[in-house]
Amino acid sequence: MNVNTEIWQGFVVCISAVFTNNILLNYFLGMCPFLGCSREVKTSVGLGFAVIFVLTSTCILNWLIYHYVLVPLSLEFFRFIIFIIIIAAFVQFVEMLLDRTSPLLYQKLGIFLPLITVNCAILGASLFMVIRNHSLIVTIGYGLGSGIGWFLAIIAMAGIRQKLANEHIPKGLQGPGIALIIAGLMALAFTGFAGVLQGN
Amino acid sequence: MKILRDIFEKVSPSFHEGGKFKAFKPVYEAMENFFFAPAARTVMAPHVRDPIDVKRFMSMVIIGVIPCVLASLYFYGLQIIAMIIVSYAVGGVVEVIFAMVRKEEINEGFLVTGMLFPLILPPTLPLWMVGVGVAFGVFVGKELFGGTGRNLFNPALIGRCFLALAYPAAMSSNWVAAGEAGVGRLMQYVTASSVDAISSATPLVLAKQGSVVEVSHMILGTTSGSVGETSGALIIIGGVFLLFTRVANWRTVVSILLSAGVMAGVLHHSDPGRFAPALWHLFAGGMLFGAFFMATDPVTSPVTNTGKWFYGIIIGVVTISIRNFTGYVEGVMFAILLGNIIAPILDEIVVGFRLRRLRGEG
Repeated sequence: MNVNTEIWQGFVVCISAVFTNNILLNYFLGMCPFLGCSREVKTSVGLGFAVIFVLTSTCILNWLIYHYVLVPLSLEFFRFIIFIIIIAAFVQFVEMLLDRTSPLLYQKLGIFLPLITVNCAILGASLFMVIRNHSLIVTIGYGLGSGIGWFLAIIAMAGIRQKLANEHIPKGLQGPGIALIIAGLMALAFTGFAGVLQGN
Repeated sequence: MKILRDIFEKVSPSFHEGGKFKAFKPVYEAMENFFFAPAARTVMAPHVRDPIDVKRFMSMVIIGVIPCVLASLYFYGLQIIAMIIVSYAVGGVVEVIFAMVRKEEINEGFLVTGMLFPLILPPTLPLWMVGVGVAFGVFVGKELFGGTGRNLFNPALIGRCFLALAYPAAMSSNWVAAGEAGVGRLMQYVTASSVDAISSATPLVLAKQGSVVEVSHMILGTTSGSVGETSGALIIIGGVFLLFTRVANWRTVVSILLSAGVMAGVLHHSDPGRFAPALWHLFAGGMLFGAFFMATDPVTSPVTNTGKWFYGIIIGVVTISIRNFTGYVEGVMFAILLGNIIAPILDEIVVGFRLRRLRGEG
């Protein structure tokens, strides 16, 4: 395939991962930090950037390992364990980096940064890229798009939750309950993008 | 009037603390409010006298849509009245139950939702669907978030979105060819099973099939479409009234129409055979109705003026994108809901920028 058309395809996949196949609002992956870490815009922006970075990088790393190590050795069934190990190691690396460069953010993210390790969105994106037979360039687009989609969803959510007048919400729904309802309504609105740029 | 007042005074004790019908106090207060000025006065400062309170605000919107309602009776027959009644009744019950449980007043906000909701539905939609939609919209879209003024999404649009996904066939097929000449359909009660209900595709559906309806028809409103959205001229009259009374913010309206027009124009220029012209897009479907009556809702749109501009631009661009690039024929509903979703974060960003600039100067 021509490199140019491949870059174009990567771009299409990227846009569709942001809107049409939003990893959070269409596949409902990565819900735990989405609900747990969206009370404040500042925290969620930090977490969002961390997810964009980790998701894109681990997708690329996993693609390289899968196609240059696992496939030649025909160890594809091993991919779940290998992918998780790579993601865990990489998150550890990001954590150390944040600790050095931005202690405040590091403190705010608290438990949620290690939680990215077991974030289904990140493992999910790596697995989708294998299932859909993406090339390396398309994988970069896919990882970046999924991360940006997740980022947009969580900052929108954080803005909404800051505006929410909590004391008037029925008692049983305060906190995660209303957050799940908001997520559902957001997904309702995102169905409008169904069918746009179907570039899996 | 004296008799009415006497009745109210007589039953008043049983609705207040200790009375038999204490739970129905909100209903009593709403009726009293409706007929007379409320007897209760605010005790605590501050007291602000302003001719525009929530009630006036809502009344202005109702006045603004009256031309569209009358036109819809002419174009689509008397079922519209039944739809409005069902919408008010079902939504009103949800509202009253919540007010009773919360022991709060019934809010006028519902009058607007109950009126706008039928106007964005296909004209021969079964009445029970109208009920289901408005119940979902008011319950999930508004009451769960704390009632009027605290909702994050436009309740009428939530109800319509729910119907569009739950009953896609009914929501995309119950169109009626608009009545013309003389009395139009004023004497008819057109339902989906009526013999003379000629189901005809809306301009947006026709455009997907390659034929473009004349803009003049869409300005007059003699096309098929949702109840209140077809007549461009009447919507503009009602909408301009809202702009003059400052109930709707002109920034939102202008930025939506301008961005949609520019994007549609650019697309049309790049491939006239595939994309319809800009003016056509502005008058087609719910674009005008959404821009004037839906997106301008002061509760669900951004508070800051800069935020309003970006909010409008996003709605306009998303609408045109959905119309031209997805399987859906109409994108206004989804676009405004998306706008509602990002409205709080837009405000947050604008305020953040201002704070940074202030700090920079200071």
